[in-house]
Order: sequence, then structure tokens, then C-alpha cells
Amino acid sequence: MSVECPLSPEVFTAKDYRSSLKPIWCPGCGDYGVVTAIYRALAAIGRPPHEIAFISGIGCSSRIPGYTTAYGFNTVHGRALPIAQGIKMANPDLLVLAAGGDGDGFSIGGGHVPHAIRRNPGLTYIVMDNQIYGLTKGQLSPTSARGRKTSSSVYGSMEDPVNPLLYVLAYGASFVAQGVPADMEGLAKMIEEAIRFPGFAFVNIQSPCITFGDPETQLKTQKKRMRKLADEGHDPANRLRAMELAQAYSETLYTGVFYRNPTPPPTYESLIRERQQNLAGPVAALEQLLQANGTENGGLAAG
Amino acid sequence: MVHDLIIGMAGSGGDGIVSAGESLIGAAAAEGYFAILTKSFGSQIRGGESSCRLRVSTRKVLNPGGTLDVAVVLNWEDFLKFGAELPVGPDTIVIYETKTGVEPAAIPLRGVTPAAVMAVPMEDMALKAAGALLAKNNVVLGLLAGWFDLARDSIPAGIRKKFAKKGDAVVHANEQAFAAGLEYAAKNPLPVDRRLSPAEAGAGRRLLTDGNDLCGAAALFAGCKFFGGYPITPATEIMQYLGREIWKRGGSLLQAEDEIAGVAAAVGASFAGVKAMTATSGPGLSLKTEVLGLASVAELPLVCVDVQRGGPSTGMPTKPEQADLFAAVFSAHGDTVRPVLAPISVEDIFGITVEAFNIAEHYQTPVIVLSDQEIAQRKEIVAPIDTSGFKLVERLRPTAAELENYTRFRFTESGISPLSHPGMKGGNYLAAGIEHDERGAPTASGEMHARMNDKRLKKMDPLRQRRDLFVVGDPDAAVGLISWGSIAGVTLEALQLARTGGLKIKLLIPKLLYPVADEIYQDFFASLQKCLVVEQSHQGQLHRLIRMWTSVPAEFHSLARSGANPITPAQVLAEIRKLAGR
Repeated sequence: MSVECPLSPEVFTAKDYRSSLKPIWCPGCGDYGVVTAIYRALAAIGRPPHEIAFISGIGCSSRIPGYTTAYGFNTVHGRALPIAQGIKMANPDLLVLAAGGDGDGFSIGGGHVPHAIRRNPGLTYIVMDNQIYGLTKGQLSPTSARGRKTSSSVYGSMEDPVNPLLYVLAYGASFVAQGVPADMEGLAKMIEEAIRFPGFAFVNIQSPCITFGDPETQLKTQKKRMRKLADEGHDPANRLRAMELAQAYSETLYTGVFYRNPTPPPTYESLIRERQQNLAGPVAALEQLLQANGTENGGLAAG
Repeated sequence: MVHDLIIGMAGSGGDGIVSAGESLIGAAAAEGYFAILTKSFGSQIRGGESSCRLRVSTRKVLNPGGTLDVAVVLNWEDFLKFGAELPVGPDTIVIYETKTGVEPAAIPLRGVTPAAVMAVPMEDMALKAAGALLAKNNVVLGLLAGWFDLARDSIPAGIRKKFAKKGDAVVHANEQAFAAGLEYAAKNPLPVDRRLSPAEAGAGRRLLTDGNDLCGAAALFAGCKFFGGYPITPATEIMQYLGREIWKRGGSLLQAEDEIAGVAAAVGASFAGVKAMTATSGPGLSLKTEVLGLASVAELPLVCVDVQRGGPSTGMPTKPEQADLFAAVFSAHGDTVRPVLAPISVEDIFGITVEAFNIAEHYQTPVIVLSDQEIAQRKEIVAPIDTSGFKLVERLRPTAAELENYTRFRFTESGISPLSHPGMKGGNYLAAGIEHDERGAPTASGEMHARMNDKRLKKMDPLRQRRDLFVVGDPDAAVGLISWGSIAGVTLEALQLARTGGLKIKLLIPKLLYPVADEIYQDFFASLQKCLVVEQSHQGQLHRLIRMWTSVPAEFHSLARSGANPITPAQVLAEIRKLAGR
């Protein structure tokens, strides 16, 4: 299921979404591929850059809005989702993207994810998952494997990783996918599909850190390791099977759509509009209310 | 006849004492009086002791007042728990429930002999008249209406309205209870006359409201289209009010998963181009701090209301205090100036909230409104608000020419640069918490950081000249007072008492607390030898803040008290007399 985003008479190509800022990322970082896939997905959709709001938190990957020509907002650590929701609520016509790393989304900002899911705002959340804190030079992240040795865990991690896929599926996310920059075509299509999905869409991208990441998981290994869910005969309407497959997060690199709800709940912004319309009727002018004599609720409630 | 009456009532949770206070203030509003009703509870959600204090007057009421004129005691144990909140003095008339078994000559008040003590069998009267103990509070209303001539005609209408849904039998029973109280008062006159003068003829309509509702209404008036927040005492009613009303005016509201998400969503809405607000109390302000810093650096308008309560930490959620001033001013890392405003009364919160939006939009900055539990939750009868005097300010938008080559953070003489929003073609830019250049590109240049700090700070400078946000008195007095927030209403009355007593004195009430308006303070200090800062915090936070930014008179005193310890006009007057050597 998909919705058509309103088309502009102008035609856009990937480079129309690319800004002149030079990324701070290390050569070989997976995030280059992610931003390229986003340019392509946006070109395929064709919304003009000024109708797009791209929100991020803090971390290497959170620099991403600045590398696009959209309205960008590189906010504070962990709060991209609530800020993105405020934007979508204030102006539902915008195409809203939120992005960040695994630390931003599943550690400091982890508490916001379930609530975004249960509201189902029409926005796409892209996590560049590299299992490490790269910007601060290589500490344990919430998705680092148990036993992983890093600069903050020299004797090895004593914790199990968060499983981002299972996390969002458990809270009822309606669109859940995982991609890799090594499969550019697949990734761009997946992001496009996520943006077109009517509601909250989550894309986990295994975007390896060339500097502090595990050598076994670098970009060059991805093509060999990835297993396309489509080739496995997975039906994305099957949520329980999706959860079963998602359990392999740490072992098997599945790519594609884990789950696409065939009957997604209404989007938050559609409910907001409906409520605004239902209540819009004749409203007493505020000036009048401020003249009114006392009533039980203070005299300021409009009829 | 008196013009002003202070009534304090206390009982157990189920006694309906607060409900009686609400009935009284509703009736007083209908008759054209002015009044303030404050409620005070133990920390229980239901049950436990509860009390209210009603000050009703023919003139505008500035504060809940000090010593009670009338004390209504449904049960001594509960009454005494409120201590200094319900002080009884030699002029007080004490009315209490006979059933408590206390002799009128032996009421449990240390060192005080009230003007009159009336033991009334309120419970028996309720049972006899209404057949229900619950009607006891209407017996109380009858006694008060009878003895003090207080809203005698309007109370029955309130009773009928209040119980209409419960059927005629219930309405009738409660009317009977009220009548029983009236009759008792008529048969047992008070030894002293304390009847309240009628409200001024042609007083016109009155608005009965509280600070939280009026703050929400002001936000709507100012054009607020988004509210993000989280339930917290004593600020929640702002969200509840807007939750009922904002949709009708094309806005939306998010009850967020936490305080941080509430303010973050509001910052997002502001980035998207609409006027946005959040509201909280102390603990929530602490949590919102980082996102407020983001709004400062990204130069996004935002109004954050902090309804102060006793702190730190959980502190005393249902009690007023003015101890969040330091937090409002200083709780940000880095060099930032964030305007802080404080209303002095329920009525005043309307204008202050509107002004907060205006300043936020004009200067592209978060603004903190320091309300407090007293203003937020007390019910007040005010004159209707004339909105024609308010001007609304919109943020500076880029012109078509500026959008040709848009530079979001362009250095300008005022420090204010045009602000675009998503959807505006050509206005695309990167907003960020990270330091940036004029176009929004991230930078680590020390030179650029210094220039941007300068831009963000200097744009607030004109605020320090906002004389309209200060209230002053006699220009050449040698003794001065400074007070802010709800306590300013107490100080204002003390000033009037002092002047009536022949003292020459002046008072400065800053409604803009930050940035500190040094020149306005200097002008105020020019004639002064002595100055007293009156406020409700243990440290005397404004007293210290002023000294940080400007020089002060040789004698610069502080009258500061921790929250929930009322400061009364009489106490302030005593301090003034000491200073004036009288």
C-alpha cells in the first residue's frame, strides 16, 4: 500500500537535493551511501526541497540534513523524533524526515521511539546503525554486541545489544525495513517506499563505521552477507514472521521490508485535521469570553 | 460595614469546605465584588485536611491578605494544621462546629483572644434541615451570608445551578441547609458588626478565572497554534485549558511522553513557522533546559511558562515559591540571554503572556514566564479584560528579495535576521544547535563563535529599556521597595498602608526580570538611601540578581522567606517602618 505524495510540476533529479556542504564523514563511511540513497528517493518522489523538513539529533550521522537542500534541523542529542513530530503537527503538508545514529535513537532518545510509533505521524525515521559511538571516538553503543571491546569497554561489553527491529515491531510500527548502503538501488527504493507509506516508517540502515567499526562488518562485506527478505519468500504483511526474522538482527543481515501493515491506523496529522475541522464551528470570540461572567470552569471556555 | 473581608475555612476532605469557597466566590462575582480564593490542601489526593481562604472586597483585591476576619473551623485538628496560612488575631471572628466539644472560652489558639467566638451546631443543623451531613457546607454559607451580608441573594442561585443535575430533592435539601444557616445567624447576632458593604452600583460584569486558564486564553489571543507539554502540578491546567480550546482555533496540542519531548515538539512547531508554547513547573524546567538552549542558538521563538512551586526537586508541589528565578535566568550552558517575565496577579498574567509571545517572536528567542502556584491556581474576580490595548507581534520574515539569496543568520545592526520556515521557497537553511556561520553552515571558528554570541546577546539589549514592564511610585522617596511575582501584590498593599500612614516611599515592580534593566534600577535607586527587596525564596534570589548586574544603594536589604510561609502586608509594613525609623 502506498500514497501518492502531491506532485510538483517541476522535475527534480538527485543532485537538486544535494547541498554544497562537504560531509565531515571519514572516507569509506557508510553514511555517504545513505545520503546518496536519500537524494535518489527524494528525486523519485519529486517534492521540491523547500517542502521537506529533515530533522536529526547528534552524532556523525546526524550531520546528514546539512548535506541536503531541504530545510534542515540538526538538533540536540536524542530529540529528533519529538521535534519532527512538532513540525509535522504544525504543518502536516510537509514531507518530514528524521534521522540519527543508533545511540541517538536507541540510547539517549530511546524513550521517544515507542511514542512516535503509537501516534503514527506520517514521517520517516532513518537510523544509521553502526554499533559504535563514532563522533566521540569509539565507545560502546546500545547496539554493540555483548563482549565487544571498545575505548569505553576495554575488557568487553557486559550487556546485550538493543535490537532496533524487534524494538519498533514490538511497539506496533507499521513500516519496518532494513537496508545497506552496499545495495544502493535497494536502499533508495526502500527509503522511497518508507516516505510514501502513510504513517510512521522506520528504516534501519547498517551503515558501518570505517574508523572504529568491526572490520568484519564493513561495506565491502555487506553484499556477500546480505540476504534479501524478498528472496527468502517473506510476506511483509506477516507481523509475527517479521518479528521472528528480526530476532536474527545480530547474526543475519536481512535486507528489505520486514513489515508493512496492510491496514495501518490513521495518521496522527489526519486525526488532528479531523479534530480541528469538527471543532472549528462557530467559536465565541476570545474578546467576548474575556468579558464573560464566571462559569464553573473559569468563564473562558468557548461553546 | 466593612469594604474588605478575609474568610478562612478548614475541615476534612469530605466537608466540602473548598466547594463552599467556590460557591462564595461565584456569588461574589455575580454581585460585582472583587475577590481572591486560594485553596490549600494536605498532600493527599483525596481526604485529609483541606482549607480555603476568600478575600472579598468592594475594591480590586491585590493579595489573599493576612490575619483572618472570619475563621470557620469545622474541626480544630484540621484547622490548626494550616498554621500561618490561616492566622487568627484579636479582630477575628471564630465560628466553629459545636460537636468538637471545645468550650468557647477554651479554643485551642495560643496567645490570641478573638473578637468573638461562635460555636454553631452545623452538623445537627444540616441533618435536621437537609437530612444529610454533606449539606453542612451550605449551612456555613447561610451563616456567612447572614452574619456578613455576603452575597445573600446570589448564593441560592449558585446552589440551584450546582445541584440541578442531581434533581429537585437534592436542590431543595441544600436550599434548606442554606436557609437554616441564615436563620441561625438572624437569631444569634454577632457581638460586632462586620457586614460587607454592597458592591459598587453599576460595577458591571466581572470575570472569574485563575492564572492557568487565563494564561492559556492569553496564548490563544496571542495566536499560539501549538502546545507541547506534560502533566505537572501546578501547571497542568494550562495544558488542560488549551486541550479544550486550541483545536477550535486551528491549532494542535501534544501531551508528550515527557517534559523534554513537550518542549522539543514546541521548538519543532516554531521551526515550522507557528507560535508555540510549553508550560511546566520546576522539575520540568530543569528537564527542558537543553532544548531551551537549542531554541536560543537556533534563534527560534518559544514561550515556556514555569509555574513555580516549592523546590528543589519534588519539593512542595502544591505550595507557592519564587525560587526558580536563578534556574530561569541561568540554567543554560554557554553564553545566552533568555528573557524572563513575571506576572504579579491573575489579571496580569494575560498581558504578560501576550508580551512573552511578542518578545519571543520579535527577538527570535525562548522566553520564560515565571508564574507561581498562587497566581496559577487561585481563583480571582477581575474586571473584564480589554484586549483592544494589546498589539500582537509577528516574527520578521524574509522579503522576496531576501529569499533570492537567503542568509538565515545574517549579521544585522539589531542582531535580528529574517526567519523563514519550511514551505517557504528559497528560504531553505540548516538550523542547528551547533555553532554556525551566517548561512547556517556548522563552524568551529572561534571568531565566528564570538560574532554569533555577540549577535544573539546584543539583540536583547533594547529589552533593558522596556520601562512599560516596570511599575514605580513616588519618584523622590528615600526608602524604596522592590518586589516581583505574586508577592508584589502583598508589597503593593503594604505600600498603600505606609502612604496612608504618612510615610514617603516608592515601589519598583519589575515584570521583566532578565535581562536586568540596569538603567531602570539606577533611576529608581537615585533618590534612595534604603531599599528592601521582598520575595518568596530562601536566598532572596532577585536581591542577589540585581546586585550582580548593577550597583545598589548603601542599605540594600532583603525580606525573603521560603515558599509556603505567607508574607503579609502587615509584615512588610513593619519592615518598612523599621527602615524609615518610624
